[in-house]
Amino acid sequence: MSLPETFSGTLAPAATTTVPIGGLATARRSGSLRTFLGSCVGLALYDRRLQLAGLAHVVLPDSSGNGSPPGKYADTAVVALVAELSALAGSQTLRLTARLVGGANMFAFQSGPPVGDQNVEALEKFLKQADIPIVARDCGGGHGRRMTLHTASGQITIESVGNAPKQL
Amino acid sequence: MSNPPPDQFLTAFRAAAGLASEALSKWLGRPVSITIQQVEAMPLEEATGLLGEQEGTICGCAMEIRGSLQGILVVLSDDDAGLALAAMLLGREPSAGDRWGELEKSAVVETTNIIGCAYVNAMAKSTAATTAAMPSPPWFLRDFAPAVMQSIVMAQPTLSETVFLTRTEFAIEGSPARCSLVFLPTPDQADLSGAAG
Repeated sequence: MSLPETFSGTLAPAATTTVPIGGLATARRSGSLRTFLGSCVGLALYDRRLQLAGLAHVVLPDSSGNGSPPGKYADTAVVALVAELSALAGSQTLRLTARLVGGANMFAFQSGPPVGDQNVEALEKFLKQADIPIVARDCGGGHGRRMTLHTASGQITIESVGNAPKQL
Repeated sequence: MSNPPPDQFLTAFRAAAGLASEALSKWLGRPVSITIQQVEAMPLEEATGLLGEQEGTICGCAMEIRGSLQGILVVLSDDDAGLALAAMLLGREPSAGDRWGELEKSAVVETTNIIGCAYVNAMAKSTAATTAAMPSPPWFLRDFAPAVMQSIVMAQPTLSETVFLTRTEFAIEGSPARCSLVFLPTPDQADLSGAAG
């Protein structure tokens, strides 16, 4: 059967996986990973050469030994995401970089150190231990974010209410 | 997995929702009906996903409660319902062109203040406390629904794996305006160790 010279219709969009609160997901070469963030922090790990992407939705800074689900805590999210990406890479060496998004402090009345700041500090610590550099971040402020990590390019799109989308 | 709360909390929350409804009815000059949607302890993740992963925005006014009763109280509505409520208070018909300006925000902030204080006072009375419950001024925000719920749950002074949450919906007769009141007492106030089983 020969192909028509022209095509009319709708091409299926690349798959988007929504990462729930406390969850994590990985992807290779195509599609995108997306999550909504308030005071939680989105941890994106990416290997540009292998086009491997991972995203964790971190809720709390420390599992205190209760690491389930692993994406929920900063300490277990780093370990679990690296393990999943290593499995996808197979025998190839991973060269991961990290980007952090979220950690907003949306209420002025909140007392004590905001949990968003605590999550960011914990992720900095555990990423350093894993020898993964943080190459970019969009954290803090008083607004929520919709974060989308595009697997093929590694680009992150950040949307927030009332503002133009930005790339990270 | 959710858990039922102790009976004394159910009784107190129902009474508080009823008094908040009366206060809202007086404020608007219209009958208000209430539906108690949730009074339960639930895992943190479930509470933050309470409003779903919807794409749209919601608006909310939050108050921190201190003193004999402690927690976070927030009045939530989607844009259309919140703007309809503001239009009613500003004495005009809601229209598709309505937007959140300072007047509209002020109207829903004041509404939150009225129904929030009625709710908190009723709850505090039920505890037979000797000190007062002190609500902070309401804080307006408009954002993605999941982001708002995350921040409400995570604004608790003591983070816990389990959240005790109450949700009551208010519908205003003859109007598209409606809102939900969500109250999260601190874990020690809700005695979650007993409630969560």
